[in-house]
Amino acid sequence: MSDTVSETTAADSNSSELALDLRGVAKTYKGRVQALRGIDLRVRRGEVFGLLGPNGAGKSTLVKIMMTVIRPTRCEGSMLGAPVGYRPALGRVGYLPEHHRFPGYLTGRQVVDHYGRLLNVPRIERRRRTDDLLDFVHMREWADQKVAKYSKGMRQRVGLAQALVADPDLVLLDEPTDGVDPLGRREIRDMLHALKERGKTVFLNSHLLSELEMVCDRVAILVKGLVASQGRIEDLTAGQSRYEVLLGGEPTTAADRAKSALTSRLAPDPETAHSFGRLGSGESVEWRDDRLWIATTDAEAVQPILDALRGAGVSIREFAPRKPSLEDLFMQALGGSPTDSPGADRPAKPSKSAPPRGHAAEEASR
Amino acid sequence: MILRQTYAMLLDQYRELSARKLFWITLALSLLVVALYGSFGINERGLTFFHWQFDTSPFDSNRIEPSLLYKFIFANLAVPIWLTWIATILALISTASIIPDFIAGGSVELTLSKPIGRTRLLLTKFASGLLFVMLQVGAFAVASFLVIGIRGGDWEPRIFLSIPIVVVFFSYLFAFAVFFGLLTRSTLASLMLTALVWVLLFGVNLADGILVQQAEARRLEVAIYEQRLELRSNAALDTWRSQLESGLVEGDPENPPQGEALDAFNPLLAGVRSELEGRERAFEGQNKWANRIMLVKTVLPKTSETIGLLNRNLISLDELASFMPGDDDDEPVDVESFVQRRAEGGGRERIGGDTASQAVMNARVEERFRARTDFWVLGTSLGFEVVLLAICCLIFARRDF
Repeated sequence: MSDTVSETTAADSNSSELALDLRGVAKTYKGRVQALRGIDLRVRRGEVFGLLGPNGAGKSTLVKIMMTVIRPTRCEGSMLGAPVGYRPALGRVGYLPEHHRFPGYLTGRQVVDHYGRLLNVPRIERRRRTDDLLDFVHMREWADQKVAKYSKGMRQRVGLAQALVADPDLVLLDEPTDGVDPLGRREIRDMLHALKERGKTVFLNSHLLSELEMVCDRVAILVKGLVASQGRIEDLTAGQSRYEVLLGGEPTTAADRAKSALTSRLAPDPETAHSFGRLGSGESVEWRDDRLWIATTDAEAVQPILDALRGAGVSIREFAPRKPSLEDLFMQALGGSPTDSPGADRPAKPSKSAPPRGHAAEEASR
Repeated sequence: MILRQTYAMLLDQYRELSARKLFWITLALSLLVVALYGSFGINERGLTFFHWQFDTSPFDSNRIEPSLLYKFIFANLAVPIWLTWIATILALISTASIIPDFIAGGSVELTLSKPIGRTRLLLTKFASGLLFVMLQVGAFAVASFLVIGIRGGDWEPRIFLSIPIVVVFFSYLFAFAVFFGLLTRSTLASLMLTALVWVLLFGVNLADGILVQQAEARRLEVAIYEQRLELRSNAALDTWRSQLESGLVEGDPENPPQGEALDAFNPLLAGVRSELEGRERAFEGQNKWANRIMLVKTVLPKTSETIGLLNRNLISLDELASFMPGDDDDEPVDVESFVQRRAEGGGRERIGGDTASQAVMNARVEERFRARTDFWVLGTSLGFEVVLLAICCLIFARRDF
């Protein structure tokens, strides 16, 4: 957390380095649905930033507020140095909305050209860029076919091209890989890398952690209209990484046998119901989801456990390092446990980038 | 810079509309109607249609110039029936989807996120709907211009007045379509509600026509009975004077009896007086309602009167008269002599019951309608439209999409 704080101070001292500086963005819809409850976000120029959250967390609402599609209830802050909602600044922002629908009667080329016109790109420039961008998104061949004939992935690629037609400094992409097959996802990922290389700031919404972790420099996790945590993915997931051991045989007997093999070798851990105890270095060894969880990323530290299990005649079917799932991160961000089991406790070693609930709320409402 | 964006929006709208079959169907129908219209002709024997000859004397080229026939058909059939009903319904069906499609999720975000003000976006969309009608009416007017020129030998530029007039007329309805489209986000709902408003406007107009006609009929009756009362009173006064001279009654010749005191000298006087009072009450009642409807109409857009402007400006009253059968020997309607004539009679008067009184009544009604100037018709209608569009802009600018 101290990292985030020092980042903020550095950012404040030089706001021109920030592509996005949002403070206290809130939106309450009619009927008192609180979509956003005070969002603070800072995105540096030239970085790929991911906004992660479950459906309904308010990700699209936040992007739409930036693009003036939705009027915020409260909003301070700036986008590319101009106040959020200042319309002329939108000319320097590319936007790909979620579930977008381009008119079926236009061809891919006409789509890019049309939005280029709306963004006031002069004709010669527009022609040149349209060709370049259609190449960039691998749509040159299909450029003169009607959008109505396109697959979802092709529409998404043309969508990306139209978002880039004005050569924007900042690109906001709302679920760009939604409904796209794995190959298409990979291509879009490559395009995002290419954009970063060109020095663009990319702001990405997704509910898939796997999508973001391969491209994003930093992410924020949005839960129920609040930023639960933000930082580098490695930092957010660090405290959650673990080794999982899948044992042979029926799960309950396997658990009993593992417990009897391990308890004598571990330090007692009375706080946690599922825990078999702790390693010498303090990480917990627990039984969860029919597996043995060892809360460390250090392979050496796990070896004695494996020896003990094998020594007791327990067969090991699988042994692998695991990163936390998005759900784990959400639960952690919410202040819950990595799994949804009742009575489960927080990981033994609190991660520095995953603050407890109170802290998160404080951060978000600041 | 502004032009480029506006051009982009109009171009997109044109592409959208022309991508639909209905656009081309409407255009083809328009041209078909003009072709049919050009197939009518008139010669010294009467009307012709293609090569068929109809003996329609006295409607022949001796009485009606061919160019006048075409103008008459244009202003009285082509515009009020084809352009203002059929083509307008087709145009409304085509354009009612403009706003619901525009504000549909997934598409509106792409446009709203561009550096263009929302008011401008909406007004451009509105204009694009009018542009569609302008194209359609334009094609129709050009074709009609050619027909009247080639077939009638009269190159009449006033035909092109139909373009602005029909576009303005359509804009009243389209403003409602935009308003309902914004509110309901549904093409079908917007179309139905707009049609409902149109029917209501038509109803108000019909009520206005009937009430004005009734009020004018009563006004004429009042005039007739007033005159008759005066005639009968004078007759009674004559009777009183002769009786005074022969000593049958007493009185001061300098101070003759007045009002009801005269009833004794003419048995019909009391009846005329009570008839007059009845007609006066009827006139007051009907005129009050006619004025109320007029107030309502002042606020609302005036569809029929707007279309009527074309007729007013294309064909003069004299020309129009040549289409009225049996009127050519008649003097122009003289209300005073008509009232005088009727007042001298003794029967119960009911204006509108016979052709002579109908002609006078219609002349009075026409006079009353003509007192509503072009400026009143267009000004108040456009005023309403501006207010409605302002409300639309306000709704659109404040909405979250």
